[in-house]
Amino acid sequence: MAAPVRILTAVPICDGHDSAINTINLEFIRHGIEVVYLGYHRSVEDIVRTAIQEDVGAIGISSYNGGHVEFFSEVARALRKKGADDIKLFGGGGGTITEADAAVMHRNGVHKIFFAGTALTEMADFVRAHYGNTHRKRRKATADMKLARALTEIEDRYAKSKRVKKSASRASSGKTRVIGFTGPGGAGKTTLIDELVLRLLKRDRQARIAILSHDPSVVGEGALLGDRATMINSQNDRVFMRSMATRGQAGGLSPATGECLALLARSDFDYVILETVGTGQEAMPFQDALVQKTVLVMNPDYGSRLQLQKIVMLDLADLVVVNKSDQDRARTAMSEIEQRLDQNLRRQKLISTVAKRHRDPGVDQLCDWVMDASEPSQKRKKK
Amino acid sequence: MSKLGQVVEAVEKYNQFVLAEVKRARSEEEFGREMVDRWNKVKSEIAVGTAPTGLKLPRLALPEIDEAGEITRYLLGEGLPGEFPFTNGAYREMYLEPLREAEGGSYGKSQPNGKNGHKKNGHAPAKAKQAEEPTRLFSGFGLAEDTNKRFHYLTGHQRSARLSTAFDGPTLYGIDSDADGVFGKIGEGGLAIDTYEDMVRLYDGFDMGSPDFSASMTISGPAPIIMAMYIAAAKKRFGPKVVPNLRGTIQADIFKEVQAQNETIFPTEASLRFLCDMIEYTTAEMPRWYPVSISGYHIGEAGATPVQQAAYTVSNGFAYAEMLAARGIPVDQFAPRLSFFLDCGLDVEYIALARASRRIWAIGMRDVFGAGPKGQMFKLHTQTSGRSLVAAEFKNNLTRTAAELMLAYMNGTNSCHSNSADEPFTTPSEEWIRLAAHGQAILLDESGIFKHTMNMLTGSPGMKAVERAVEAAMLEEFRQIEELGGVLPAIEHRYQRSQIQTAAHRYEEQIYNGTRPIIALNKYNDRKDEMPEVKMVRTARAKKQLQVDRLAKFKKKNAGQAERALDKLTDVVESGKNCFPTLIETVEVCSLGQITGRLQEVVGRFRPMV
Repeated sequence: MAAPVRILTAVPICDGHDSAINTINLEFIRHGIEVVYLGYHRSVEDIVRTAIQEDVGAIGISSYNGGHVEFFSEVARALRKKGADDIKLFGGGGGTITEADAAVMHRNGVHKIFFAGTALTEMADFVRAHYGNTHRKRRKATADMKLARALTEIEDRYAKSKRVKKSASRASSGKTRVIGFTGPGGAGKTTLIDELVLRLLKRDRQARIAILSHDPSVVGEGALLGDRATMINSQNDRVFMRSMATRGQAGGLSPATGECLALLARSDFDYVILETVGTGQEAMPFQDALVQKTVLVMNPDYGSRLQLQKIVMLDLADLVVVNKSDQDRARTAMSEIEQRLDQNLRRQKLISTVAKRHRDPGVDQLCDWVMDASEPSQKRKKK
Repeated sequence: MSKLGQVVEAVEKYNQFVLAEVKRARSEEEFGREMVDRWNKVKSEIAVGTAPTGLKLPRLALPEIDEAGEITRYLLGEGLPGEFPFTNGAYREMYLEPLREAEGGSYGKSQPNGKNGHKKNGHAPAKAKQAEEPTRLFSGFGLAEDTNKRFHYLTGHQRSARLSTAFDGPTLYGIDSDADGVFGKIGEGGLAIDTYEDMVRLYDGFDMGSPDFSASMTISGPAPIIMAMYIAAAKKRFGPKVVPNLRGTIQADIFKEVQAQNETIFPTEASLRFLCDMIEYTTAEMPRWYPVSISGYHIGEAGATPVQQAAYTVSNGFAYAEMLAARGIPVDQFAPRLSFFLDCGLDVEYIALARASRRIWAIGMRDVFGAGPKGQMFKLHTQTSGRSLVAAEFKNNLTRTAAELMLAYMNGTNSCHSNSADEPFTTPSEEWIRLAAHGQAILLDESGIFKHTMNMLTGSPGMKAVERAVEAAMLEEFRQIEELGGVLPAIEHRYQRSQIQTAAHRYEEQIYNGTRPIIALNKYNDRKDEMPEVKMVRTARAKKQLQVDRLAKFKKKNAGQAERALDKLTDVVESGKNCFPTLIETVEVCSLGQITGRLQEVVGRFRPMV
């Protein structure tokens, strides 16, 4: 089976009109397209960086409050400048984009503008017909571009064939810390990781971070890869993020995850963060020494104490984070989970956080743990 | 239970009370007679006016009922215009032309709210002082001086200057015009404001302290900073004594931003704190200012159904009231300064959407919050629906807007913006904005529909049926929100957002599958679709550059003081004290972007919801 078409969608800086793009995203997904959604109020720089890291076939921009001629043209210019103009640029803005504007935008490198009244299916068909196979060999590819393309090749191999020879190498390059985050949907994993990234970037001014995040999808169907839309700190030149659809695999990860992660761990990162999809009680996504340390992120409202006995990851995680600990139930949850962990006699660590709160001390603690939890214990040399 | 749950109970209780009173009026002779007497007294006091044709008409039309039960149902259930529960209108008279002196009756003469009346000057009745026009047209483009010119153009023929200001994208997001990647957005879709000096230019030539002047500013995320700039600009031009006289509205509605419009820059809780700081200051120091316009318009435009729009808006209003009361501000200080803003489209609900909203608000404010009569009034600005306008054969948009205007005035809106037909593609050009303004004048001044008689089009069986259905559906939405713990917890669950998105998706599907006919788009669309030739309003490069240059000059001039001012602001914010008075000082030496940037360091940035 061919690999799904992957595109990026976003709304320009200073524009919060996301009603149209939300509807269009859903339509794309229904047509089997994997959509990385960056959200609204996004800069040219963020859009281009994301397109390169996610190695998409095209960027779709939905613009409703003017300045589109400049904005689209700047995106096209930035893609050209980086040597990534094999990534096509399309978009629309209802009636705000005139035919005359579109002509200028086209001259500046925009591939396609959809005008008001275009049927949603027509857009989806166009995207599938034109943006599935746009990748060209890039003459002046940067390290990020090469890495992004290599990840695509791994994913594509798994999409095309079920039996793929597993890559043997899993070890990191020594200095890299590979940490896996899992937990039920809605526990706040993405927010927590984004706040962790903010701290890592601040405390270690040279640190480079990779994030491999997952969203669920069914074989041969589309997916909304939307983690980036809520991540405000991880859009940074020192952060390489890749969004993957699980493409039919149960358990919270994609068939290609292991190999992609191994590649990231071998690349030049100080931290590699793996985020699973929201998982159930029985899930144990990190097998075969996939990661060095594991974090389970939980909500305080997991139900009765009995439920805790059933959560497999509570036995396996090195660190348990009770997020949203501003909720009423948090105090009870902390003591119940503490007792549950004591049974394991493994000196697992327990932290409570409110990831949505600015400068949350719990997330500071998480950051301390992540920075200390290095396998190679000696302080590494600064680049 | 949050206050919202109590509101649901209060409305249900009030409805039962009305039914019980109807019964009592029929069974208790004395009470029944009391109600009939009151009814007869009201009727006898209604003034009579004369249409240009010579026809004599009452200033207030009432249902033809004389039975005690029905009279009670009317007086208590919906109330006379200007009376609890305000179903028929927040004020006793609206839109009516002044009464000539010779004409009798006292109903039209009493002016409890100081509105819509004439002053006694028996000699020149035709020139009797009229209240402000309800027309308030939203405008803003280019730089401050361009919008200033448009303001003068729009209000030149009016008695009063009621301005409504639209800001560009960078301003709405609290970003300076010199920020990376925003150059193309300067002055597009609204005007650029970077410093309080821009604010001085914006209202140049208008007497900001005059009782005939009021300014509305449509901005929420950085609203407290923009409000501080407005005050600083007014002080600069007219001295500190102008502050208590300032009249106007700033949108400042954080809830609807998080639910629908996405122009939020600080985390929700921090935004709400800054908002409450501002409201506490303005309700004490600027008693004529409306510091928050609780807005459904953007919720509607983002795709909500009319009921969702009204339910989320009114529940947001109750949530603000709950917050302000919890801060210890007396209800009668803040409640009269809350105002509302709804969308008006073509769906049937709009026949009674504002009526149902006014009624629920009045009952909730009186019975749950203990507000006095002024704090019970749901004061409403309406805008016709932008989403209902389409680019295909765009002149049809005149008809759409006219129908929506009709619905808005039938609902007793207190002010109204009519959209221009060219809005699907551009900031309105002068030609079409003029037609939009004239649409309102034709309806209110030229036609006799609204200027002779209050209640001209209210109370039809159909309208009442819609009103009852809308009220029930709104209360049901309240219950859903209450089940999630109230407005703020529901927002954190993304309840309103996801409901709006689902409704938006359904709306689009209905257009594509034809079950929602849009003329010239999916019905009678046989004409080849051409882009109409309209004059696009765009801001020239040179203007954008001028704005950037001005900002650079301001920053250079204040370089020595900006940092110290920001540090002082930081200290006040971190102390938890009301930071608004300090903010009024900060804006004198700092730009919008400088202040936003610093505040984001202190309280964090807003994390978008998907």
